[in-house]
Amino acid sequence: MTARTVLRNEWRLLMADRALRVVLGLFAVLLVYALANGVVWMRFQARTVEAVQAGNVERTRAIAEELAAIENGAEPASRFADPRAPNVLGGPRGSHTAVLEPGPLTALAVGQSDLLPYYYDVNIYTNESSFQQNGEVENPLNLMVGRFDLAFVVIYLLPLLVLAVSFNVLSEEREQGTLALTLSQPVSARRVVAAKLSFRALLVVGMVLAVSLLGILVTGGFSSPGRVLLWCATVVAYALFWFVLAAWVNSLRRSSAWNATVLVGAWLVLVVVLPAAINIASGLLHPLPSRVQMVTAQREASNEAVNRRSELLARYLEDHPEMAGGVVAEEPGLGALAWAATDAVNRRLEEVTSEHDARRAEQIALVRRYRFLSPALLAQEVLIDAAGTGDARFAGFQSQVRAFAEQWREFFVPAILASEQMDASVLPDLPRFRLEDEEGADVARRAGVPLTVLGALLVLAGVGAGVGLGRVRGAD
Amino acid sequence: MNTPESRHPAELGNGRAPLLEARGLSKNYGATRALDSLDLAIAPGEVYCLLGPNGAGKTTTINLFLGFVAPTSGQAFIAGLDVSAHDRETKQRIAYIPEQVMLYRNLSGLENLEYFAALGGKGALTPGRLTDILVEAGLERSAVDQRVSEYSKGMRQKVGIAIAIAKEADALLLDEPTSGLDPQASNEFSELIERLKNRGVAVLMATHDLFRAKETGTRVGIMRYGRLVTELGTEEIGHADLERIYLKHMHD
Repeated sequence: MTARTVLRNEWRLLMADRALRVVLGLFAVLLVYALANGVVWMRFQARTVEAVQAGNVERTRAIAEELAAIENGAEPASRFADPRAPNVLGGPRGSHTAVLEPGPLTALAVGQSDLLPYYYDVNIYTNESSFQQNGEVENPLNLMVGRFDLAFVVIYLLPLLVLAVSFNVLSEEREQGTLALTLSQPVSARRVVAAKLSFRALLVVGMVLAVSLLGILVTGGFSSPGRVLLWCATVVAYALFWFVLAAWVNSLRRSSAWNATVLVGAWLVLVVVLPAAINIASGLLHPLPSRVQMVTAQREASNEAVNRRSELLARYLEDHPEMAGGVVAEEPGLGALAWAATDAVNRRLEEVTSEHDARRAEQIALVRRYRFLSPALLAQEVLIDAAGTGDARFAGFQSQVRAFAEQWREFFVPAILASEQMDASVLPDLPRFRLEDEEGADVARRAGVPLTVLGALLVLAGVGAGVGLGRVRGAD
Repeated sequence: MNTPESRHPAELGNGRAPLLEARGLSKNYGATRALDSLDLAIAPGEVYCLLGPNGAGKTTTINLFLGFVAPTSGQAFIAGLDVSAHDRETKQRIAYIPEQVMLYRNLSGLENLEYFAALGGKGALTPGRLTDILVEAGLERSAVDQRVSEYSKGMRQKVGIAIAIAKEADALLLDEPTSGLDPQASNEFSELIERLKNRGVAVLMATHDLFRAKETGTRVGIMRYGRLVTELGTEEIGHADLERIYLKHMHD
C-alpha cells in the first residue's frame, strides 16, 4: 500500500522534474551509443574471423592444386616455396590460423578483445615471440578499461547516475519540509526511502537491462542464457550497491550537500583511485622485465644459433629422439640445420618469457587479492567474463594455440629432419585447430567469489542503511 | 499551583475519555529540561491552546505526541495508546499541521492531498472526493489543480487541514499554524478548526496568538521553562484577562 502510493508519487515528481528527465534521457543516449560501439566492434571481429577462416581454406586449396600439378609433371612455382618441402608446407605458406570466435556478449563488453589477438597464424616457426609481440600490455588493469562500451558505462557512469538520483532521497524531503508531514503518517522512514529508491532503481536498472537485452538480441547472445543471466545479475547487484550506499549516507541525517560530497568521494575512491592504486602497486612491486630484453635475447640467440647449427642439431636429436623417428639423413640437410637453429632460439625465448610470465602472474595475483576492496573491480571482472571477453577465456585460447603449435611441429619436424618430401596424401591429415571453448559452468564458477563478495558489500551497506533509517523518527 | 485561575485538568475537560493525554511527560536535551512532568488530557471536541514564549516546551510537547522524539520519562497517549509503543496505530489517528505546511512544490494541491491521504491509510478516495475536501478546507476550486509552488502560505495550511479531514483524524496537532497568516486567512483557519472541533476532533495547538487562543480554544495552558504553569477555561475569562494572566506569568 505504502509502496504503491510512494511509487505513484515518485512518478508524478519525475514527470514534473525536467532536469531529472534530461539526465535520464542523456544516460539513455549514452547507453545506446555504447551499445552501438560494441555491436560495431563485434561485427568487425566476426567479419575478420570469417576472412581468416576463408584464408585457411584458400591456402589449403592453392597448395592442393599445386601439389596435384606437380604430381602431373609440372615444376613447382618457386624452388623456395615448393609445397612438397615439409618446412614449406608446415611453414608460413601452409600455415593454419587458429581463431577465437567473439565472446557471446562481446557487443556489451568489448573487454580486452580489441587489445589481445583473437587469431594466430600457426606454423612450425610459431614460438613465444608470436604470442608476446601482439599485445602484452604491461598493465593488467589498463587492459580492462577499453572502449566506450556498455561495461564501461555500467562500471563508471552508472554509479554517478544512481548517486545523482538518490543522494538526496531523504535529505531533500527534510530540506523542503515534506518529511515532517510524511513521518506524521503511519509510515516509517525506512519504508518510504525503500519505496522511493525502488522506483529510481527500477527506472535506472530497467534502462540498462533493456539496452543490454536489446544488444544481446541483435547479436544473438541469447544462445548463452547463463551468460545473459550473469550479466543481468551483476548489473543489478552493482547498481543496488550504489543505491543502498546512498540510502546509508542519507540515513546519517546530514544535508544534501554533505551527502553529495561523501557519495562522490566514495565513487572517486572505489571506482577511480583504488583501482589505479592497485594498478600502480602491481607495477611497482612486480615490474615486468623489459620487452627490449626479449627482443635482444631473440636476436642474440638467432645469431648464435646460425653459427652453431650443426652442433645444435646434434644436441636437438639427443633431446628429441622421438622427432627423429630413427630416420635421420646421413648428411643433415639444410632444412634440418635450420630447424636446429630455430629450436635453439625458441628455447632461449622460453627462458625469457617464463620470467616475464612469472612476473605477470604475480601482478595478476596482487590485483586479484585487492580487487575485493572495490565493488567496481569485482563487477567489471564478472561482466567481462560473462561477455566472454575476459582474461580467462583468452588465456584458455592461447594455451590451446600453444598446444596446437606443438602438434603442428610434431607433424612436420620428423620429415624436416629426415629431409623427406611430402605429397597431397598428407593434406587430409594436417592438424586442424578446434577450440575447446569454456563452458557456462566455468564462467559461473569463476563468478562465484566476486559475486558473493559484491553481494556481501551490498548486504553490509543495506544493514547500515536499515539501522540508520530505523533511527529517523522526526524531521530534524 | 492552586491560584484562582488554575484548577485540576479533570475539572476543566468535558468529561469524555481523553484522545490526547500526557502523564508526567518529560524530555531532556542534554542538560536542558525541555519539558518537565507535563500532565494533560484533551477530550474529543476540545481545542487546547498551549501558550508560552519560544523555548517553553510547546513544540517539544507536540513532537512527543507525534513520536518524533522519545520521552525521557513519562508517557504520551493517543486514544489510550502509548505513542512510544504504538507508532503506527497512533499516527493513523492524528493529523499534524506544522508552522509551515511544506508540500511537493511541483505537484498540485490535489496530488499532494492524494499522496498524503494515501500514506495516512485513506487510499480509496476518488479525485472528485479529494477535490471536495480541498474546497471544504477553504481552497478555491480553481486552485486545486495548480502547482503548490504557486500557493500562498494560507493555501498550503488549508491543504494541511484537508489532509486531516481526508484522514478522518481523531486528533489534530497544530504547531503555530497561523503565524505569518494575514488576519483574514487566520480567521478562516480558526473557522476550520472550529468545524473540526464540532465534529468531535481533539485539537492541541501551540500558538503565540493570545487572541486566537481565546477565540478558538476551549482551554488554554500557559507554559514556561518546560512547565505548564497554569490552565484556564476560555469561557470564564475575557481577552484582557488572558493577556494580564499571561504577562504576569512571564514576569514571575
